[in-house]
Amino acid sequence: MNDKRRASGRTLRMLPYHALMLAISAVFLLPFYWMTISAFKNNAEIFANPVTWFPDPVRWSNIGALLTRDDFPFVRQFMNSVFYAGTVSVLVVVSCSLAAYAFGCLRWRGRNLVFGLTVCALLMPAIVTFLPIYLGWSRLGLTGTYWPLITPFLFGDAFFIFMLRQFFMGVPRELMDAARLDGASEFRIWWQIVLPQVRTALVIVGLFALVYTWNEFFMPLIYLQDRQDFPLSVGLFTFQSQRAAEWSVSMTGALLTALPMVVLFLLTQRLFQRGLSSTGLK
Amino acid sequence: MGAVRLTGVRKLFGGLEVIRGVDLAVEAGELVVFVGPSGCGKSTLLRMIAGLEDVDYGTVEIAGQDVTEAAPARRGVAMVFQNYALYPHMTAFDNLAYGLRRAGVGRAEVDRRVQETATLLQISELLPRKPKAMSGGQRQRVAIGRAIIRKPQVFLFDEPLSNLDAALRVEMRSQIARLHQELQATMIFVTHDQVEAMTLADRIVVLNAGQVEQIGTPREVYHAPANLFVAGFIGSPAMNLLPATLGANGITLGSGRVLGGRAGRGEAVTLGVRPDRLTPADGDRAHLTGRTTLIEHLGDETIVHLQPDAGPKLTMKLKGEVAARLGDRIGVHFDIEGTRLFGADGRSMADDRA
Repeated sequence: MNDKRRASGRTLRMLPYHALMLAISAVFLLPFYWMTISAFKNNAEIFANPVTWFPDPVRWSNIGALLTRDDFPFVRQFMNSVFYAGTVSVLVVVSCSLAAYAFGCLRWRGRNLVFGLTVCALLMPAIVTFLPIYLGWSRLGLTGTYWPLITPFLFGDAFFIFMLRQFFMGVPRELMDAARLDGASEFRIWWQIVLPQVRTALVIVGLFALVYTWNEFFMPLIYLQDRQDFPLSVGLFTFQSQRAAEWSVSMTGALLTALPMVVLFLLTQRLFQRGLSSTGLK
Repeated sequence: MGAVRLTGVRKLFGGLEVIRGVDLAVEAGELVVFVGPSGCGKSTLLRMIAGLEDVDYGTVEIAGQDVTEAAPARRGVAMVFQNYALYPHMTAFDNLAYGLRRAGVGRAEVDRRVQETATLLQISELLPRKPKAMSGGQRQRVAIGRAIIRKPQVFLFDEPLSNLDAALRVEMRSQIARLHQELQATMIFVTHDQVEAMTLADRIVVLNAGQVEQIGTPREVYHAPANLFVAGFIGSPAMNLLPATLGANGITLGSGRVLGGRAGRGEAVTLGVRPDRLTPADGDRAHLTGRTTLIEHLGDETIVHLQPDAGPKLTMKLKGEVAARLGDRIGVHFDIEGTRLFGADGRSMADDRA
């Protein structure tokens, strides 16, 4: 009886807290909800007064209209995004885990200094280095292609190296020593012994890289010129800036652009949380 | 089986010298135990023999070959680790087979040797299991199997029994002793457990602060410690160490009581006496008296801790149950035959028997 009374007292005390959290969540969710309902309205319904909080009728035809437009090659740009984000994601996992193995599992002279310099790269805003790097790619004649967007990830990414190193340092040193005594090369130890111990971390890093790249806007905007080559992030922006009045198509495009990442996030929510807590971001 | 020879081996971590010039020869087929307090460098020395730590100065030879610069896998050594170090994502079979596969051994031969090793260690039923589905003792047996299967010149054990409970530790200890007999293998075993060292070793190497303090058979290091460190480290409870002088009439305690034995001209010495060489005594037979500060009843023996009227605390190891109570005054008799003498430099005196 006492337990029950104590429990109900606790529920009452938590009520304002939960009410506040719900209110804050609503503030964050509102734009997403607005985008979603607008994707199934026409322009007049979007700007109707009073506001309608649910589309009536639900205009599924907006999706068909979006997919068949000549001035917004959605399917092509969707595939560009899949290629861009997917390739970067795989490259990041491979290159960063190699670097993290060197920083976290091998002992060599100057390791801490090189790692410190790598972390320093985190502090350097991309905008500072963008011009000389752009000129370099331009001289190579590779602007207008995905090479400048993808190639840098062959050499790792400071943030992901930092993140993976924390996981790699948790792998018992004796496992690697045992493999060395068994005659495994360092590459084989990385591949066959260490990577299987940090599978979760690799998935987390892959997901982070996928989401970051899917949403990446600045670099593709600079390096790509042809509408057919754009990923969705840039394609949607250029469409919106050229067809400012076509809000319903814009919103349908925005919804379909965001949807894959939202679904991915919902499926892998726990991994994301683990990734954030392991990097001290949460 | 290969002999191991270390010559002038030194190791520095930054400016800190953790191994300070070790010379050691382990004969083929011998079981040598490195023993010493935490941080004395015994594991580092073992890892240097394995090739897992660089040797900064000196040479390491295995089976007559200089392997100082050789990769671990090319030294003909196998190692068993304290935390087993089994590959967690592989079955016991794959753990055993991994080294053979790396060495390019054929599939049929790998299968045959895994089965042979599993039979020897009675782990055949564990072969399809992954380490997380095994107990600590089972994991350690698989880890030993992983070492045996490669038929190395030298086996290295880095505190392999530390993570096991007391009963299992005794069982594994006897299993390692049996393996040593059967394989006639050269083994180097690191431990901080004196019982392990005393029961397993052909010879014990006592290490302290990166240096060898004494090398000898278990009986030698126990009965004839080379210096005060070995005297205080080997044996449980530790040897009692008391300040004394060598007077005209023999060894004289700080209280002025003469024990007899070796005479001298007033040289300051340290008298070492094992706890089992002290006995309770009354009247003139008592060389000193003190109050009991702790009594440990172990069933077959009793450990009595004593604070003498003057001088450092003493420990007595007495057979059977003793009726003494805390705070009692007891007289203590020294068995002069069982005492050792250490000079002012801490070293055992030549002909150190009192």
